[in-house]
Amino acid sequence: MILKKIKQRAFSNILDSITTLIIISFIIISLTTILKWIFFSANWSVVKINLPLFFFGSFPKDQLWRPGLWMSLIAILSFATLLAPRWKWVPKFLPILWISFAPLGIFLLGGGLGLSPVESRNWGGLTLTILLTSFSAILSLPLGIVLALGRQSELPVIRKASSLYIDTMRSVPLIAVLFFGQLLIPLFLPIGLEINRVYRAIIAFTLFVSAYLAEDIRGGLQSVPKTQREAGEVLGLHPLQITCLIILPQALRVALPSLTNQAVGLLQNTSLMAILGLVELLGIGRSILANPEFIGRYIEVYVWLAALYWVVCTLMALIARHLEKQMALEKRG
Amino acid sequence: MKISYKEIIQALFALFLIILICVLINNISINLTRTGIGFSFNWLFRPASFALAEHPLPYSPSDSYAWALFMGWLNSLKVIIYSLLLATVIGVFIGLSRIGKNELLRVVSAGYITIIRQTPLLLQLMFWYFVAFLSLKETVLKPIGNLLSISNQGINFLGITLSAEFSSLLLGLSVFTSAYIAEVVRGGINSVDKGQWESFRSLGLNDFTGLYTIIIPQALPAILPGLTSQYLNLAKNSTLAIAVGYSDIYAINDTIINQTGRPIEGFIILLLSFLFLNLFISNGMEIINTMITSSKNN
Amino acid sequence: MLPIVKATNLTKSYAKGIRALDNISISVDPGEVLVVMGPSGSGKSTLIRTFNGLETFDSGQLNVLGIPLGSNHNEERKIRRIRKRVGMVFQQFNLFPHLSILENITLAPIKVQKKKRDEAEHEALVLLTQMGIESHAQKYPSQLSGGEQQRVAIARALALKPELLLFDEPTSALDPERVNEVLDAMRRLAEQGMSMVVVTHEVNFAKEVGDKVLFMDSGKVIETSTPDIFFLDAKHQRSRKFLNQIKKK
Repeated sequence: MILKKIKQRAFSNILDSITTLIIISFIIISLTTILKWIFFSANWSVVKINLPLFFFGSFPKDQLWRPGLWMSLIAILSFATLLAPRWKWVPKFLPILWISFAPLGIFLLGGGLGLSPVESRNWGGLTLTILLTSFSAILSLPLGIVLALGRQSELPVIRKASSLYIDTMRSVPLIAVLFFGQLLIPLFLPIGLEINRVYRAIIAFTLFVSAYLAEDIRGGLQSVPKTQREAGEVLGLHPLQITCLIILPQALRVALPSLTNQAVGLLQNTSLMAILGLVELLGIGRSILANPEFIGRYIEVYVWLAALYWVVCTLMALIARHLEKQMALEKRG
Repeated sequence: MKISYKEIIQALFALFLIILICVLINNISINLTRTGIGFSFNWLFRPASFALAEHPLPYSPSDSYAWALFMGWLNSLKVIIYSLLLATVIGVFIGLSRIGKNELLRVVSAGYITIIRQTPLLLQLMFWYFVAFLSLKETVLKPIGNLLSISNQGINFLGITLSAEFSSLLLGLSVFTSAYIAEVVRGGINSVDKGQWESFRSLGLNDFTGLYTIIIPQALPAILPGLTSQYLNLAKNSTLAIAVGYSDIYAINDTIINQTGRPIEGFIILLLSFLFLNLFISNGMEIINTMITSSKNN
Repeated sequence: MLPIVKATNLTKSYAKGIRALDNISISVDPGEVLVVMGPSGSGKSTLIRTFNGLETFDSGQLNVLGIPLGSNHNEERKIRRIRKRVGMVFQQFNLFPHLSILENITLAPIKVQKKKRDEAEHEALVLLTQMGIESHAQKYPSQLSGGEQQRVAIARALALKPELLLFDEPTSALDPERVNEVLDAMRRLAEQGMSMVVVTHEVNFAKEVGDKVLFMDSGKVIETSTPDIFFLDAKHQRSRKFLNQIKKK
């Protein structure tokens, strides 16, 4: 029975059998090489010694509990989101918790209100990566919604302005937006008003990502039939109420898969700040490699970073998939 | 005539935009006068006085900034076109494996896609450059005799030499984009009605012939838009060249801004360069699209 | 008593000179049920959609619940005032798929009439009980059959306590065995004295419930008469041809 299944799936004809055999030998060879390397050849001391750096950057040693607490909270929150349907009361609070999560991070990292201030150049590692991602995501979603609605507006001035913004942002590379964000934002601000590199990066990411979110949300808006608006109109609802209560909730549900793809993409793209002077996850890897003590340990550091990114991104994708299913169930019961 | 509230909203919005732009321009001009830079493009014709490792046309440091930028633009175009072709070949292969009958091949290609898509491109590029090429040091790999040699100097294939910078950018961009193209191809083929497979099988065609004569022509309308947007992404991603030291338009622009201290002019130049690159790609795809649709109609 | 709807010489044409409405004059009195019949594309949907401002018209006068509507487009306030007092039921139900049945019904009372949630929900449950679907209150539209969804749509329209109900082919999208449950609900509303304008092909409903039948073709009113006269002895050739066609079905 099992043999038959295997035959059907991998050895259905000669060509298939040859492919299967080639792949099997390829897998065996590469797996043994990789495993041998991981367990025997690789020198993981570069990772072990620098573990706090990878997670928290050069945050003051006595204050490490702050990023530590924040990272644990995100882990608990992700877990709660995955398990939420079992506890009736949790789902109501989840959105609020997720939204307050990024400001909480700024408070815990930056200090104030009783916490000793820590300068942003000491923020780093995975903590900074997640801070950049969550803050930019929270800011770009509302901006993306406004832009998407603007692009659909029946008022030509608003429609054209939104289109121009979206199309321009989507035609330039992200690295350029980030680079010029670092250079130009100070020039656009009045003298005396200065904001640090992390906030400049968040502004640049927000401006960039919101243009992409806007297009995904527009796709969602277009998928809502016109008759839904009519049904709201005949009930005497105000156009704004129709948009917020009827059209947008449906559009966002449709757009959810692409929105979460954008979030995963955003997390990966925060790595670009490594070449623009921030020591987020990839940046800290680079500065460790520049340390003469660890020179040449490229493979270990890059493989370790790739694994970390992979785990975080995959977790994000899992949570997103879970939310999508949850919403589909809600609709069907 | 009565003015409707829609017109009032529009006027207010336009006014808000104009004030915003004025405030920004005012701030920037104050800042520029303070630093004494001003705004002009005259410097474009002064000598660049930096060397370029790679330039498709003759170039020397005494040539103008404008010429250096043009070299960068050509370098970008070169790496984009090569990567685009390689990414398409790999992507189509992986995409077809992903839906093929062989279960093992399906699993392997799914693994490929998740590893590539769930890690940052910049990390992959650095991996190619620092691990795959630079760590070779003095060793020269010759996997198929003298036809192909790989070293920390790059790739030499049949006498054609590609620098290590170019090669790692080419491989990094192609591999990264191929994972996305694979998903586009898979989505396109899955969009074709399952009944089409049954009907060509019932006509006695084998899967290969059926795929190329029946399925792919029907899947193309769904594949092409996705492919175009992946190509545009590839073009934008090619600016990560700066991380591996390849002199593309962005890297040269970056150098020039550092030399001249003119970020605003630099931003405008980059914007225009990308406008041209995007037009180039979307027009190219448009031509391919019309070729395909017209050949179908004949 | 003033008529609930009074239309005089309504005319609307689309591009290419097609007349959707051609000089139509009708009136609906309080408590009256007007049935509008006619082949598809005859303009009957367009006609009732002008009554609550979903469609504009080019010339003529229209007065709904004492509110005059002109032929220009800038009357959003007036139109919203009318819509708060006129309910409408669509062919495709048009329920809000992301809201539960109860939320579908309470949305407008809470947001438009500013009622308290408890009060709105209580009234919604009363309406759902009238429609015989109170057990579905917590479900979502996609879990209900077409007939049940259409009854929810009627309840949603009734929640604002309208003075006039418009029905745009309410049974055309239903499975044949589900048609009667919706027609029965409409019949009960008519018995309670609700003023209704119903676009439908249901001959039996028109005979039993209709006070007046309006027959339209190519944007024109061909004839207006009582159901008895219309179905037994239609005056016009075109009306008789149409009646023969739907009898065959």
